[in-house]
Amino acid sequence: MNWLIRALSSSLGKKYVMGITGLLLCGFLITHLAGNLLLFVGAEEFNHYAHTLHEQKALLAVAEVGLFVLFVAHLILAVVTTWENKSARKQDYDVNQSKQGTPLLTFFPHNWMWITGVIVLGFILLHLVDFRLGIRNPGPEGEEPFDKAVRLLRDPITFCAYIAGVIVLGFHLSHGFSSAFQSLGLSHPKYNKFIKCAGTSFAVIVAVGFASFPLWAVLFQ
Amino acid sequence: MSHETINLTLKIWRQPNAEVEGRFEEYKLEGVSTHASFLEMLDILNDELIEEGKEPVAFDHDCREGICGMCGMMINGQAHGPDNETTTCQLHMRRFQHNDKITIEPWRATAFPVIKDLVVDRSAFDRIITAGGYVSVNTGNAPDANTIPIPRKDQQKAMDAASCIGCGACVAACKNASAMLFTSAKVSQLALLPHGKSERGERVLKMVAKMDEEKFGSCTNTGECEAACPAGISLDNIARMNREYLKATLCSTES
Ligand code: SF4
Ligand code: FES
Repeated sequence: MNWLIRALSSSLGKKYVMGITGLLLCGFLITHLAGNLLLFVGAEEFNHYAHTLHEQKALLAVAEVGLFVLFVAHLILAVVTTWENKSARKQDYDVNQSKQGTPLLTFFPHNWMWITGVIVLGFILLHLVDFRLGIRNPGPEGEEPFDKAVRLLRDPITFCAYIAGVIVLGFHLSHGFSSAFQSLGLSHPKYNKFIKCAGTSFAVIVAVGFASFPLWAVLFQ
Repeated sequence: MSHETINLTLKIWRQPNAEVEGRFEEYKLEGVSTHASFLEMLDILNDELIEEGKEPVAFDHDCREGICGMCGMMINGQAHGPDNETTTCQLHMRRFQHNDKITIEPWRATAFPVIKDLVVDRSAFDRIITAGGYVSVNTGNAPDANTIPIPRKDQQKAMDAASCIGCGACVAACKNASAMLFTSAKVSQLALLPHGKSERGERVLKMVAKMDEEKFGSCTNTGECEAACPAGISLDNIARMNREYLKATLCSTES
């Protein structure tokens, strides 16, 4: 077992876990997005989907615990590595200038993943408070899932926070997705371009996809 | 209009030793030939400082032809200055404009403590090499050349990795002061050749453990190291090291 602990506490091991948890969370995003798209199909279909899902008590419990573990692992490692990386350079440079030609990168602050990560965390907490726990904006007894979604998404705070949250999430993914492959050693001249493209497209799809729900709720409902 | 000679304002980090805090000093330098190398420009400054009875600026250098890796310094926030795949000693003053202000700082990393002014202690790199960056199996006398066939593309990749000069620019340029580009180059050059294969697992485990112990940061795949590297070491080496480490972790026989 020693070898496992040693590997997981090494800098490379932490990156593996970061990458794997990140990619698995990406998988969750896809299923979540796919489910939500039923909102556009119709109230009946969406309600049916939501009810069927909620009936799978055991499955749901496993999924929720699994997601929670993935999320917490990703988060803890982010905090630990960020702290370690900060202490690897205690005194900063007076002048910083990138040698990479990409103008985009100068726009990205140094601790980009950290900042976007923290914003996404805030967004997810708000999302859970709204939808999972129903604390902030509780609806009437026996409200159908479709009505609940529309009601919550039309709330001005939710609306703004969600749009901002998913856009920031998109930025997080635009680096995170392809970065996970590099961390796992999956780099190959044949596929690198494809992975980069897939990462960017995935980020755009997730951001646009999830942003479409509050927009739809406000404009068309 | 290009000048044959330029005037410069230099803002240089001065620090007598590791124990005391350093600070920036500004110097005016006039009539610097644009044909001078960056280190020659510093030589000229030091001559003037010595004549004025002041302490010259300490900086590391040896070969002055881009092969020893001693001369690293941060020039206007860029490791080895603005040119790609160029060491500080190979950088020339024609890259600068008349009346430019140039900020010169030492590599900054917890693992590279400042010894004096622009000179840092890079022996953490040596300790990473000592941890496993060699081949220790006894193979007797050197075999005839060409008795071990090595495909040209492997040999080329190994040679590319071996061109790392250990200058530390990758650490200096990385926002996390990570030494992964250096370590991965050293892991790769041996993993790619038959001579290094038998110890490859053990090697990567030991070298990475040492790298962590020396308090370098970890890679966030930003790519600044690759852009700053004077030897053109590619990020592919980091991916290879990640693979090697994963393989070694899963397959090695340690407990
Ligand atoms: S990898 Fe490049 S930047 Fe890093 S030490 Fe080697 S030569 Fe210098
Ligand atoms: S002095 Fe040797 S590489 Fe610059």
